Amino acid sequence: MASRALAVWEHRKVVGLLVRRDLKVKYQQSVLGYAWTMLEPLALTMVYFFVFGVILNAKRGMPEEAMAQGGFLLFLVAGILPWNTFGAIMSEAPRAMITHSKLITTMKVPREIFPTATVGTKFIEYLLTWPVLIVFVIFLGGRPSWEGVLIWLPLAIVLQFTFGLGLTLFLSAVNVLLRDVERLVRIVSRLLFYGSAILFPAALVLTSDAVPGWAKTLYQLNPLLGIFEMHRAVWFAGFEELTPTTLALSSSVVGSVLMLIIGYWTFRRLEMSVLKEL
Amino acid sequence: MAQTTYGAGLTAGPVIEAKGLGVKFAVNRRRKRSLREMFIHGTKRDPNAEGDEFWPLRDVTFEIDRGECVGIVGKNGTGKSTLLKLIAGVLLPDEGEVHVHGKVAPLLELRAGFNDNLTGRENVYLVGSLHGMTEKQIDERFDEIIDFAEIKSKFVDTPVRHYSSGMKVRLGFALISQLEHPIMLVDEVLAVGDKAFKGKCYEAIDRMLANNRTMVLVSHNEKDLRRFCNRGLYVKDGGLALDTDIAAALAAYNDDTKAEIAEREKRDAERKKRAEEARKQKEQGRDGTGGGQTA
Repeated sequence: MASRALAVWEHRKVVGLLVRRDLKVKYQQSVLGYAWTMLEPLALTMVYFFVFGVILNAKRGMPEEAMAQGGFLLFLVAGILPWNTFGAIMSEAPRAMITHSKLITTMKVPREIFPTATVGTKFIEYLLTWPVLIVFVIFLGGRPSWEGVLIWLPLAIVLQFTFGLGLTLFLSAVNVLLRDVERLVRIVSRLLFYGSAILFPAALVLTSDAVPGWAKTLYQLNPLLGIFEMHRAVWFAGFEELTPTTLALSSSVVGSVLMLIIGYWTFRRLEMSVLKEL
Repeated sequence: MAQTTYGAGLTAGPVIEAKGLGVKFAVNRRRKRSLREMFIHGTKRDPNAEGDEFWPLRDVTFEIDRGECVGIVGKNGTGKSTLLKLIAGVLLPDEGEVHVHGKVAPLLELRAGFNDNLTGRENVYLVGSLHGMTEKQIDERFDEIIDFAEIKSKFVDTPVRHYSSGMKVRLGFALISQLEHPIMLVDEVLAVGDKAFKGKCYEAIDRMLANNRTMVLVSHNEKDLRRFCNRGLYVKDGGLALDTDIAAALAAYNDDTKAEIAEREKRDAERKKRAEEARKQKEQGRDGTGGGQTA
């Protein structure tokens, strides 16, 4: 395994080329390319803010003092922007190998670089959401804390992309052999969106009396829950309701590493069959 | 045990070594089995699945030395392209090993890697770099590539999706033929382009071969094969039937083809005869019983 990881590293230039190509294709279509890609999450945020924040009053899960630090709107933006990246990874993961079939069947490179490039592109796109996030932080009076910036932020990013890479390796290989996966992923992605508490503080579920204890445990076992709580803890560190519980935190760490291992193992296992099918 | 290795070293001895090479495909595309095999570690194979697999190539062993130009001949569907893919390392063998010493320039699918939304220039840089050319090398040869591909300068910065298929293939050939990799794999690509371009392709390949590079060529064109190759591999029914000089390989292939055609003609003649007899019998029958009706 180490030698293959090294081989991918040796081909990092190819990964870079593929990433640059994807970004170029994406943003050259229109002058407003960047603006357009930001418009969708922003419009969604407004809708969610209205429906969940104003009408359904999901902001009751937020502590009073947090309202001064950006409030529910910052909470939403800080969750939706990284989720948008994750959702994009999930929706493109099944096609990560198929779209490159021509290259894969003519070029001798470690096949892992294609899923890696897909995730790499999404990483750059994630970094590009930061200007928007910072604008929100400034306007809403968000206050980053040392704890948030030095612990939660790097941890959230590393775990999210570790999980994303594992998932992409897994889905890209399996989907070549079973094309149904693509459809399934779309449904699962929706479920995870609500399962990861993007639109409301997870505390709302965890303190609810209507939810049985086992369901709360299950809820916290979703590695994504912890990851997205961390993304928001950057701005709301110190509020117990808004930082991941120990269980959620450990399932994020373990789950992400496990996903990468499973994804890589599956990818290597299926490589021969995948090459024949492409 | 099945493996593909690539060494970059300039060692003496063969540049391509294949030992007991075999690859198997699942017939009727039973993908589910590969998923199942993955979880059962592929040791115990389903006994019912025996008939489901098919070996396009099996037990192929050969060595190719530096500077050789080897032609692979054989009928359609006998595994020639599969063999080329195994050498290129884009397909992994189920059995045996293939060792390739040196980088490979694959002239397999010339449009591979071109992105329709990027311009000709961007694509040249992208695909060139993907194949290991440095930016400086591409800078130096860019004009030569465009010139060779006969792309008018006003189209260089047009997205490739507006190119004709001929333009794309010419650009692909022009680019890949600039690679300085010691091994070239060529799959039928000489069939592309118009007459004038073909002439240029021949010259380009001659020039590359003069550099003591190794080439493996798959083609149905006897003239091409005779022109470039000094050795022939005749692939028949998934195995290596002959490994001699190109003339002998072609002769064997032609003999087999002739025999096959003769066989088919014989079968056709027989079938015709049978049909004829059946018709005669029918007619006789009708003549005998239905004589009254025709009157």
